[in-house]
Amino acid sequence: MIRYTLTRLALLLLGLLVASVLIFLTLRVLPGDIAQLIAGTNSTPEQIEGIRERLGLNQALPVQYLDWIGGVFRGDLGSSLLTGSSVTAELAEKAQVTVPLGILSMTIALLFSLPLGVLSAMRRGRAAGTALSVGAQAMAAVPVVWAGMMLVVVFAVWLGWLPAQGFPRAGWQDPAAALRSLLLPALTIGIVEGAMLMRFVRSATMQAIGQDYVRTAAAKGLTRNAALIRHGLPNVGLSVVTVLGLQVAGIIVGAVVIEQLFTLPGVGRMLVDDVSRRDLPKVQGELLVLTGFVLVVGFLVDLVHRVLDPRQREAT
Amino acid sequence: MLRRTTLAATALLAAGALLLSACTSGSATPEPTTSSAPDPDASAVIRLVLEPGNLDIRETAGAALDQILVDNIYQGLISRTAEQDIVPALAEEWDVSPDGLTYTFTLREGVTFHDGQALTPQDVVWTLTTRKNTPEWSDSRRLANVATIAADGQNVVLTLSAPDSSLLWNLTGRAGLILKEGDTVDYQTKANGTGPFTLAGWRQGDSITFARNEAYWGDKAQVAEVVFDYIPDNQAALNAALAGEVDAVTGFDANLQEQVEATGAFALVTGPSTDKGTLAFNQTSGPLADKRVRQAIRQAIDHDAFVEALASGETMYGPIPSLDPGFEDLADVAPYDPDAARDLLAEAGAEDITLELTIPSFYSTTIPQILVSDLNEVGITLEVNSVDFPTWLNDVYINQDYDLSFVLHTEARDFENWADPDYYFTYDNPEVQALFTQSLAATDEGEAAELLADAARIVSEDAAADWLYNGASVVAVGTNIAGMPSVNVNERLNLAELAKSNG
Repeated sequence: MIRYTLTRLALLLLGLLVASVLIFLTLRVLPGDIAQLIAGTNSTPEQIEGIRERLGLNQALPVQYLDWIGGVFRGDLGSSLLTGSSVTAELAEKAQVTVPLGILSMTIALLFSLPLGVLSAMRRGRAAGTALSVGAQAMAAVPVVWAGMMLVVVFAVWLGWLPAQGFPRAGWQDPAAALRSLLLPALTIGIVEGAMLMRFVRSATMQAIGQDYVRTAAAKGLTRNAALIRHGLPNVGLSVVTVLGLQVAGIIVGAVVIEQLFTLPGVGRMLVDDVSRRDLPKVQGELLVLTGFVLVVGFLVDLVHRVLDPRQREAT
Repeated sequence: MLRRTTLAATALLAAGALLLSACTSGSATPEPTTSSAPDPDASAVIRLVLEPGNLDIRETAGAALDQILVDNIYQGLISRTAEQDIVPALAEEWDVSPDGLTYTFTLREGVTFHDGQALTPQDVVWTLTTRKNTPEWSDSRRLANVATIAADGQNVVLTLSAPDSSLLWNLTGRAGLILKEGDTVDYQTKANGTGPFTLAGWRQGDSITFARNEAYWGDKAQVAEVVFDYIPDNQAALNAALAGEVDAVTGFDANLQEQVEATGAFALVTGPSTDKGTLAFNQTSGPLADKRVRQAIRQAIDHDAFVEALASGETMYGPIPSLDPGFEDLADVAPYDPDAARDLLAEAGAEDITLELTIPSFYSTTIPQILVSDLNEVGITLEVNSVDFPTWLNDVYINQDYDLSFVLHTEARDFENWADPDYYFTYDNPEVQALFTQSLAATDEGEAAELLADAARIVSEDAAADWLYNGASVVAVGTNIAGMPSVNVNERLNLAELAKSNG
């Protein structure tokens, strides 16, 4: 297990390093630069060149990369070319919106997808099961943007219960207000992601129902449902953990869209703004942290998997 | 050159905006419909479209900065009203010598910067001198004709090497903003000006907050706080208005008028603006080098369709909008006439040509749709190349690598671009350049405007570009709000008179 963990950790670091090179290079393919944007359409080529020099943009690419990655190793993600603010500090600030949004979305998704997924599997072939299954299919197909708009129209515009957009300027100093402003965006992501998760839980549960050990347990006198709950569901749980790990990436992508739609000052909106301003050092830092986050989640899922599933442990 | 890039800012406005019914354009300031008195402790929330990247008004281009910082935070010796009249600001009065070579400004007493320090004539001399001598600062070239800047008691005297009819106007913009000598404030995220508001906070990616400057030299602001809420999406802005989260929405989509007015809490106000929806022609080579092809494109385009689609604005047939000096209705130069367009193309031997339109992606797709369909009618295939703004700057503005380009130019009085052969418009006419130079050298305003009008007619007759529409300022204003500007709000948003009542 230790050897496995270390190998896996080394792979994680290698993955991050490769990702850093890819992030750095792909951003350099984008036409246009921040110096042009700062100077604007009243600028002379000399003026732009002056700004480029001041910002260090005229250095060779390998030098720029080494500068950046060297800083990352010292724990410094760099700073914005536009405002000089630290990428780490900005990420920490925006994470106060995006992380709770992600957790809330995931919680909402799990809250309804687990029971409803199992239920629809157990009621398979009956009206309730079919309705749940079709409902999940339909919800998973709904575009996130449309779902968000509908929720806003109903809960913010018609009923006036929740804010239509934005995040309180006081942030989490007023937790109730902060939570209220995250509720609609989290519902939007949660419903769509949860619907996908529900279909997965349903098929995993149906698979479990068909397993020999569940049948054996039932033959020994447990009711079919009791057999499923006691022996089948732990296995369903195991595969759900794996899928949840994959869904973390989905939730990050969802956050980019949702933060635009609800004008939430989170990591996703910051990323889009920074790309459109070509504040590349900031974008690099943000992408590296996000990539790292997804890789770490994958790493943890693998570890959890091994701990929970004795068969995998024996295999190595 | 463009004064600053306002392009992006206003671009976004047009973006959502394409649906309306014709609104009449009126410049009247909306009056609150409630009778309750203004609340001096009120916080007014204004939706804006484009957030500035940083707050450094010295170096960073972009109308997003001028829109909020000029007049409200930073002030010049003189300023201009929404109607484009030049009015006193830090200077109580000014005098121009008959030969147009000496400008004397009398500095107001009792003005302090936000950090408490008093404004001195030396601050003025230092700022203007530094601006003139620092090419990295925006608009430094606008002071090119100024030879000396000196203080004489409370007077600041500018001596010119040649008359410059645009100088006063330029001093109402960035070129004239007065800073504290040798200030050490971090201009990228902070501010230290003399205006009626102080910068209270900036939550990047979200909002900027101004607080009333209690030590202001003039009439104090009528609200305790103004919050600029940056909401790029028009639908989100409408929702915010309907949910009562904002008090005024600029850059509004006039097509949503009925929806926003339905509750009675908002009224839509439209005012004129200097936004020019400009279709640039790269006339250096290819079919567009032929004036007949350019003229054909202009006549193939149904300009009324844009005004209808936007539900605001007016048609425009030359480079100068109605708010600027030198305006003249040039509709006769390029009337909508697809048959004439086909004849011109045949004459030029340019039938069945294909052209590429490079357009920043934040504009509504309505604009390219109308263009594609109109040009297709006369046998021109238009390929639309939608790019982000930095790409547009690189490809079109810097490298002039394009056939047709659409951008909304928002600056007032930017005719100079037509007199600059190096500008991305690629228009080079010595006669226009000469007229423009003469207009600058004129010491009489009326004469300067006439010369500009003459130059503008030539630009239009040369089909140097096409102007798809003259945009309007479209603002949805809460009925409890008074004093919200409604003219040219993309460029300047003076909030000195903004008031909010509880009603």
